[in-house]
Formats: sequence, C-alpha cells, structure tokens
Amino acid sequence: MLTNNQFSAAKAAKAASITQKSASLPGKPRTQTGTTPKSKLQPKTQPNSPVNSTSKAGSSGSNTPTNKGSGSKSPLTVAQQDLAGLHLDQEVDLEAEKEKYKERAALSMKTEELIAKVRKEEEESGKKNISLIVVGHVDAGKSTLMGRLLYDIGELSEKEKTANERGSKKIGKGSFAFAWGLDALGDERDRGVTIDIATTHFTTPHRNYTLLDAPGHRDFIPAMISGAAQADVALMVVDGSPGEFEAGFERGGQTREHAWLVRSLGVKEIIVGINKMDLVSWSQDRYEEIVEALKPFLLSAGFASAKTTFMPLAAMEGINILENDVEELKEWYNGPTLISALDKVEVPPRPYESPLRIPVSNVFKGQTAIASGVAVSGRLCSGVVQVGDRLRAVPGDEVATVRTIEVDEDSSPYAVSGQNVTLYLSGIDSINLSIGTILCPTSLPVPLVSKFTTQILVFDLQSPIIIGTSVELFHHSVNLPATVSRLVNVLEKGQVTKKNPRVLQKGMTATIEITLRSTSNNNARIPIETSQQNKEMGRVLIRRNGETIAAGEYYLYLRSSIR
Amino acid sequence: MKLVNKHIEKDGSGYVTLRPEDDEDMWHVYNLISEGDHVRALAVRRVQTLSSTGSSDSFRVKTNLTLEVTKTAFSPAASSSQSNGTGEKKEPTASLQISGKVVEENEFVKLGAYHTLDLEANRDFRLTKTSGWDSIALERIQESTQEGRGAELGAIVCGEGTAAICLLSEHMTTVRQRIEVSVPRKRKGGTSGHEKAMENFLSTVYQAILRLIPYQDLKAVVIASPGFTKDTLYDYIFQQANLTSNKPLLSSRSKWIKVHSNTSHVHGLVEALRAPEVAKMLQGAKFAREGVGLDKFHKMLATDELRAWYGPEHVALAVDRGAVGTLLISDDLFRSSDPATRNHYVAMVEAVRSKGGEALIFSSMHESGQQLNLLTGIAAILTYPLDIEVVEMEEREERERLDKEKNGGGNEEE
Repeated sequence: MLTNNQFSAAKAAKAASITQKSASLPGKPRTQTGTTPKSKLQPKTQPNSPVNSTSKAGSSGSNTPTNKGSGSKSPLTVAQQDLAGLHLDQEVDLEAEKEKYKERAALSMKTEELIAKVRKEEEESGKKNISLIVVGHVDAGKSTLMGRLLYDIGELSEKEKTANERGSKKIGKGSFAFAWGLDALGDERDRGVTIDIATTHFTTPHRNYTLLDAPGHRDFIPAMISGAAQADVALMVVDGSPGEFEAGFERGGQTREHAWLVRSLGVKEIIVGINKMDLVSWSQDRYEEIVEALKPFLLSAGFASAKTTFMPLAAMEGINILENDVEELKEWYNGPTLISALDKVEVPPRPYESPLRIPVSNVFKGQTAIASGVAVSGRLCSGVVQVGDRLRAVPGDEVATVRTIEVDEDSSPYAVSGQNVTLYLSGIDSINLSIGTILCPTSLPVPLVSKFTTQILVFDLQSPIIIGTSVELFHHSVNLPATVSRLVNVLEKGQVTKKNPRVLQKGMTATIEITLRSTSNNNARIPIETSQQNKEMGRVLIRRNGETIAAGEYYLYLRSSIR
Repeated sequence: MKLVNKHIEKDGSGYVTLRPEDDEDMWHVYNLISEGDHVRALAVRRVQTLSSTGSSDSFRVKTNLTLEVTKTAFSPAASSSQSNGTGEKKEPTASLQISGKVVEENEFVKLGAYHTLDLEANRDFRLTKTSGWDSIALERIQESTQEGRGAELGAIVCGEGTAAICLLSEHMTTVRQRIEVSVPRKRKGGTSGHEKAMENFLSTVYQAILRLIPYQDLKAVVIASPGFTKDTLYDYIFQQANLTSNKPLLSSRSKWIKVHSNTSHVHGLVEALRAPEVAKMLQGAKFAREGVGLDKFHKMLATDELRAWYGPEHVALAVDRGAVGTLLISDDLFRSSDPATRNHYVAMVEAVRSKGGEALIFSSMHESGQQLNLLTGIAAILTYPLDIEVVEMEEREERERLDKEKNGGGNEEE
C-alpha cells in the first residue's frame, strides 16, 4: 500500500510541476485519481520521476503543446485560442488516450493476478463458494430445517438455541424455536412467518455455503426473488404430512411458482427435501407418492433429472440432516443425507474476468468500530472487487471507495464473483444508494434503460398478456411498475411464427417490449445489461396481481429485426 | 359544479354557463372544452397605452374575454397543500389554463389578440361549442352538476418503506404524496436498523395522513398493502391517535379499512378497490364500476379470447356488427383535438347504447382509466364470439368487392 506521505508527496510534486509550466492551466482531477492504482503498483518510480510528471502536466493541460511550440514567439490568434478552449487539439487527445489506456492495462493486470491467486487457492483448499436458497410453500418448515441444520453443524450455539426455545415457548409458539434462529424480525417472530430473506453461512467439507432462507408466503415473493437471484442451487422443502403437500402443490400453492422462479433465475440444480416425514411414521408409500408427483413437474420446469435429488427429512427431530439414524427410515432409504448432498453440488463457473457487477440487496449503517458507515450487501454477479477500489453506483453519478470487505462475517482484502459480500463504503452518502443500485467499475458502468425488448416465457396465468398489461418488473432485488408496451412476436424453437400477436397465452415464448411506468416527477430507469453481455444481469421476472406471469432475458435487437 | 344557465338548441348549437366548485369540476371542465370552442370568462389583462407624447403606460384591467380555444392545460394539484392538520376539506388545488385568440373585441383588447385564461373555482364561465353539443358532452354536464354526487375516498397504498397517499373522487385519483424511506432489510446481528427505520417510516406516513387526508369528509379510508404492513400502519395510526387524544381521528375509526393488495405500487389500487369490503362501502361509485368493468374484460380475455377485443380499429368493426355488449372507452379519446375523431367515438358510444349495450366512459385520472389508456384506450366485451381474423378477412373481401364494383361501373361508362 502507498502510504499517505508518499501520496501527498506525489500530489505536491505534480502540483509544483503544473505551476512551473503554466499557472493558468488547471490540472484535471480525473488524471489525478486515475494515477492512484498505478502508483500503488509501482511505488518506487512514481513520486519523483521527472519524466512521468512532465507527461502528466502535459496531458492535464489541454493546450500545452501548442504553447510550447509557438507560445513564447508569436501569441495565439483569437481563433486559435477559442479552438484551444474547446479541447480540440488532437495531439493532446492522443496523449490523454494513451494515458487512459495505460491505466486500464495496469488495473486489469492487477485483477488478473488476483484472479490467478484466487483460482490457485480454490484448487489447493478444494473449497468452493456457493449460494443456497431454501424455497417451498408456506409452513413447509424451511426456516426450521435451516435452523436445525445450523444447530447441528455448530453455527447456532447452544446458548442461542436455549434462548430461542425459551422465547418461543413464552409466546406459545414452541415449535418455532429453530426457525427463530433465522426469523429475527419482531413481526416474523410474533406471526410465525418468515417475511424477509435471512442470509447466513455454513461450511461442508468441500463447500462454503451462503444460505438464503426465503419466505414462503405469497405476499413476500419479492423478497424470495431477491434471494433467488443470488443463488446457485435450491433446496426445496415440501411438507410430507397428509394433505399439506397437495395444498402447496396445487394451483395457488407456492411449490410450483417457486420452482419456476428459481429455475428462471438461473438455478440449475435442486434438492427436494420431503419434510415432516416423522408425522407419517416414515411411510415409504407417502414418500414415493410425493416423488412421483414432483418428478415430472420439475422436469417440465427445466430441472434435468440428473440435477434433481430427493430425500426424506424430519427437521424438528434433525433426522437425515447430518446422519440418518432412524431404524424405520434406514429400512428403505439409503440415499444421501442433506449435508452430503449439499457437499456434492456442482459449482457453476464464475465469470471472474467480466466487469464487476454487484446488485445491492441491502443498504444499512454499520455500527461496530471497524465496520461503521455506509454499508451495502449483495452478491457479485461477475468480476472481482478489492479494498480501495472505486465503484460507481448506478443509477446516479456518485463514486464510492471500498473501505472494508466482509465475506461470511470476516473481513477480507478482496471478494470474487459468486460470493455474498458486505461492503463498507466511503465517499458516498447513503441517500445515493438504495436496494436495486448496481455497483460497477467507474470505467464500465451499467447502462440505464427505460424501455427494452425481452424474450419471455409465459407461465401459467389467469388472463393472457396483452398490450398495456400493467406488470411489476423484477430485476435482482428491485421491483418496478412497468407496462407491456408491445408484443413483438411469438417464437417457436427460435423461429418467429407470428408477428404482432394480439395476446400471449400460457406456455408461449415471445418477444415483448417493456416500458417502465414513470411517475409525474421521475422518469423511471433501471440499470440492466443484455443477456449477451452478462447472463445474470439480463434476467427479469414479470409479475401481475401477485402471480409470476413470465420470465425473460433482456436481448438487444436491431430495430430492423423486430419490425 | 353549478349549472348557471343553459341554452342549447335542438341542433346542438348554444351555450352553457357553469360554475366549477372543486378539483373534480376542473377535471370535468377540462374534458368539456375542446379545441375550437368559445369560452367567455373574467380575465385579468395587462393593457399598454401610448400617450400622444410617446410615453407608455401599462395597467391591469379585469374584463370579460371570449376566446377561441387553441390549447388547454390541466394540472391536478397545482399548489402544494395548505396544511391545517385537522383533517378537514381543503380549497381546490387543481388548475386549468385555456389559451386562445380573442374573438370578441372590447375597449381593452383587440380582436385576434392572444390570451391565456386561468379558470378559477367559484367563478362563472360560458362555454359555446362551435362544433355543436354531442351526447357525451351533455351527459358530462348532467353528471357533473348533480347534487351530492359520488363517493370520496382516501387510500394509502404501502409496502415496507414506500407509501402513496391518494385521494379518490368520482372522476379523479390524485396521488397527494409519495413517501419513500429506505428501510434496511434484516441481517444477521441485530435488527435495530430495520426497526428504527420502520418507526421513522410509520411516523412519516402518519404525519402525511394528518396533513393530506380529510378523513372527516371522506366516506372511507383504505389502507392497502401486501403482507403485514397495513396492520402495522393501522395499529400505529390509532396508537398515535390515542396518545395525542386526537378525537376526530379516533371517532372516524369505523371508516378505516384494511385491504390486501399484491403490490406496494399505486397500480395496486385497482385491485384494492375491488375488494368486497371496499365495494360495499362505495356502492356503485363510478370508479368502482370502472374497475369491475376492466376486470371483467380481463377475465373474458382469459376465458374466451374471441369475445374480448381491444384497439380502435378492431372495436369499430365489432360495433359495426352490433356485437358489443360492454364498451370500455377512455375519456382521453374524446379529448382529441380533431372533431372528426371525437365524433367517431361519440357515434360509437351512441351505437352501442342504442343497441342496448353498456358504454363505460373511464376517467383517465383514475388508475383503471390509465390502464385502459395503455391498452389503446378502447376495449369491448362482445355478446357473441367473433374471430378477429375472420372479420378482417370479410372486411378485406368487402373492400375488394366494392373496389371491383367501382372499377366495373367505370368500365361500363367507357
């Protein structure tokens, strides 16, 4: 790291050289900031090297070369001065371009080294980072299962467990003791329903898991989507007790919608835990019945059968989580336990080399001494981030510096894509950050759009999609009111079968145009990239009246191709 | 609105004198006045005089001017609210500006001079329709001058950290305030940030409600949200009312209704108003009917696509065939500056009504009207299924036949 002293020395030297050349020319602030990463790389040569500082001054002043050549002999004509004021001088522009290019090259070299290092470490330790989302119908026992898992693994201490047990008994909800490990909000505890995503982490022998416990209630699907957008693998919990599975699986139950949602948000692998099996005294028939019902459905939702694992569970008793020690179950089940299944999940390749993208899922104020100030959390969709990086918050023009990075509640000098992180930022006010902001490198910001074409798959819906349908657009953690402004075409196996359709029915693949609804005083825009550029940044979900009606990917079309 | 004077001939020419009284009246007036109409109202005009010595003098006069309208501009809430904190009815805040050429000369203003009138509440104006009064315009006058019309309703659509405070009247929804408070989500290691922010959010909404919702005059106040936010807000409001012993608020408790909506955005309002608890309170208010009509259309689209049509050309074809049972049309279409277009839609409404169908004219100041606007502004539920493609083909054939006849006729002449 460059010390403060050195840095100010460099600054002073530069300032001095500028004043020597021409006092009237202001130094461009951008060139100054741009040199910071470079000086970090080569601290020896930077501060006093005369060659370097001359070229700096040359590029920071817009018309120095002309001045140098002719300035002292013949004064500039008025016209020339005007032109100089417009920064039209080509020679200087080239110089500046070169400078910029150099900076970027230096930056990417640094990240390359980091990526190489991360890759090597991963290989050595054999531990890979992965995110797990827990989904399922309301009251299937998602939070309880996860609470139990954390307790069995040792992430949830005995003390916390007893405190939760006592607390939940007090208000007459003793069965929620394990769920309280994750349901921390007052409302959640009072009502016995998960409202928002709970994020925590645990490790298995070969994986570092980020656990996202999603709410199952239909009203809180926005929170669930926010979590699913951050996940690589899903654990679907279904209630095995009589009648309950059917209630969750029928139309209007959350089992189907959740499966569609996680699949369309990029989750390829799913583990189905059939919970509360102790209530049906570990009946194999019941288990088989549920598996038979779910298998074809999951296949139709797009989960390959090789990527689907089923297992019987009893969350409250903690059976088949770490180990299977019930005689009744052992008789007919010899498949993996939950932990061993989780340990074998395949980790998708990570786009470390792509530009950094962090969709912010939470903004808060850090309260401890080391971790104070504005904090954001979210998952790195692509790229890497290091302490000291300057990040642009889109939408907005603000730039922040990363002060501390927290991965799994430990501070870390860097984070790579696929990890859920908390970043403590400096140089930015929290009003410039909100849920839905995307953090990206200053050089490669995410574009903002208010209208875009997307290719969608229409889900089960009550009434078809027509022009003008009011919908909510979900993109990572943000949801915005929008309108289907055009139905461009209907596709079948990638071929356009109908142009300008009147309606879109269930099961169709189509191209539509979505326009964000702007209110009188603001023009709504959303930071989004095409799927060609960045898969995770291009996914959107479309909901209406509390049901998910379509999932899509943002594609950029040439105007001519959609007419 | 008061109808001061009405003088309309059988042929549709003539004038009316109206006195708008509140925001909604302004909206009616905006919908009544179309381009080319003559409006006579009191105006303040700056007059410049040039004396014989060449010095100029300017003064303001109040004078009655008659304009030929070229442009109208409506804004639902021009001035920010005056807060009196008692939840009582406010002065009207909507404003309507009318620009045009002066068509009647007087001692101050020359013929053909331009002027922009500000129509004000409680001040008479006279409206003459040059293109004649049609049934839609007359219906609107009748509707707007009825005594004791309509339900007024307050609504708060909220979610965690966002709220929109709206006032609904028969023809208008005004979003009085949008509140956005950033609420940190739950996180391992303490939820105090969340709780603090929620407390802050609730108190902001409570203050806004006191300021903006005249709950004493309203029929009902609806709190709509997904999840538990509505309960939290409702409890907070009355807990605060108890603490501050706000008698009027406490006594209005029966008017407050909690309704589930699927979104925290304003368009969740349509859904909230369809809820049976609210519908019962409103008892056939216009905006409730509109919401139901739109809902019916969507349901029809889902069950029988051939009986739900939309788009001006398609609906016109359906009207020609006498197939329309319910016509949904936005008042936006009647505001068209081109009289021919307006007449076209007026004729459509009359045709549907004459055949015993129902025509619902949606107010585009309501959320349901806006949704209809997005859906091309016109839609119809048909009495029997018609395939759009078959109908289009018939039309094409008919046109070709007519063309042939015309050409054939021409040939014979030759």
